[in-house]
Amino acid sequence: MPRTIPWWAGGILMSLLFFFTFSEWGAGRPIGASTGMAYLSEVLFGLDADSHEYTALIETSGAWEGVMLIGVFFGGLFMSLFVTKTFHISFIPTLWKARKNSSVPSRMVWSFIAGFLLVYGARLAGGCNAGHILSGGSQTAVSGLIFTVVALGTGMITGRFFYKRKGSCS
Amino acid sequence: MTEGIVHMFDVVAAQGHGSVWTVLFIGFCFGAIILYSRLDKFEKMAGFMIFEDTLAPRMAMMTVALSGVGFYALVQGGFAEYQVKPTLLGGLLVGAVLFGMGLVILGKCPSAFFVSVSEGRVDALVGVIGGMVGGAVFTLTFPWIKHLMGPDLGAIRLSDVLGGYELMIVLVLSLTLFVVALLIPTVDYHDPADENPKR
Repeated sequence: MPRTIPWWAGGILMSLLFFFTFSEWGAGRPIGASTGMAYLSEVLFGLDADSHEYTALIETSGAWEGVMLIGVFFGGLFMSLFVTKTFHISFIPTLWKARKNSSVPSRMVWSFIAGFLLVYGARLAGGCNAGHILSGGSQTAVSGLIFTVVALGTGMITGRFFYKRKGSCS
Repeated sequence: MTEGIVHMFDVVAAQGHGSVWTVLFIGFCFGAIILYSRLDKFEKMAGFMIFEDTLAPRMAMMTVALSGVGFYALVQGGFAEYQVKPTLLGGLLVGAVLFGMGLVILGKCPSAFFVSVSEGRVDALVGVIGGMVGGAVFTLTFPWIKHLMGPDLGAIRLSDVLGGYELMIVLVLSLTLFVVALLIPTVDYHDPADENPKR
């Protein structure tokens, strides 16, 4: 088995999975991830639906995506152990080292902040890139198109300031 | 917490969006495709936004191009229904800004960071923990911020804004994305850690 697939094969496989999920033969709903992330955090911190309005609001869709995310973890684990054989404990990505720094505490602090922003932002927007960009875009949803433009635009601007090339600034 | 997890599976079993096994299978495939295409890597997602890698935009455009046409066909054939998210303008704009910043700093999205953890990346695990706290804080602050998320423009699609032409919109969007995905040159960030995972 090859250790990676090209972008077009990834796109074709992903859309086949989306067809299955979207149709009545699969789940009859589009794929999303961030509602599940919020749901899992409510389970973890014990924020039950009786006393928390938002937990009650995402009870059904959050549970569905929460279970899906458990599958996502094992799908990734299976591939990294048996197919790509890339499983190894690592702390800092290569590109981060090249563009930012080699400090483990720095990467961890920023990871925590970024993870917080990702999920908090996704909940505020009502979806993440799976729900808004991929599923939303495929359904020509206005919310998905607005999210795509604003999120990627902000990402590119942030990236420009956040990852200054070493030596290019004093 | 165990009760909460059992409850989660019960809710999924009762809601008619596929059995628990179907949902786990969908997730399994989703995670497997993300890992196999290496989309879980920081170099692919953050690299895209600092123009050092083009895998993520090409693959996303391909997915939306094919899914756009496929979803239309499924809906027309009566095998699926569109489920469009509402456009809550205030929340959408502020949320997208925060999300974009998080995406480029962490270099993963809320499903890819689970995939990254399954590959042994500790920074992704810290990102997941940050996300867990983010989700909990959102749940706790929701009663106050829900008033700031509007105005609600409803669950609208492009055809609602343009007054029809649904098939035309789907075809033009899909064809455009398909062609652009093919035309973008391949830029592949070379990661030495891929050749020698022990590093």
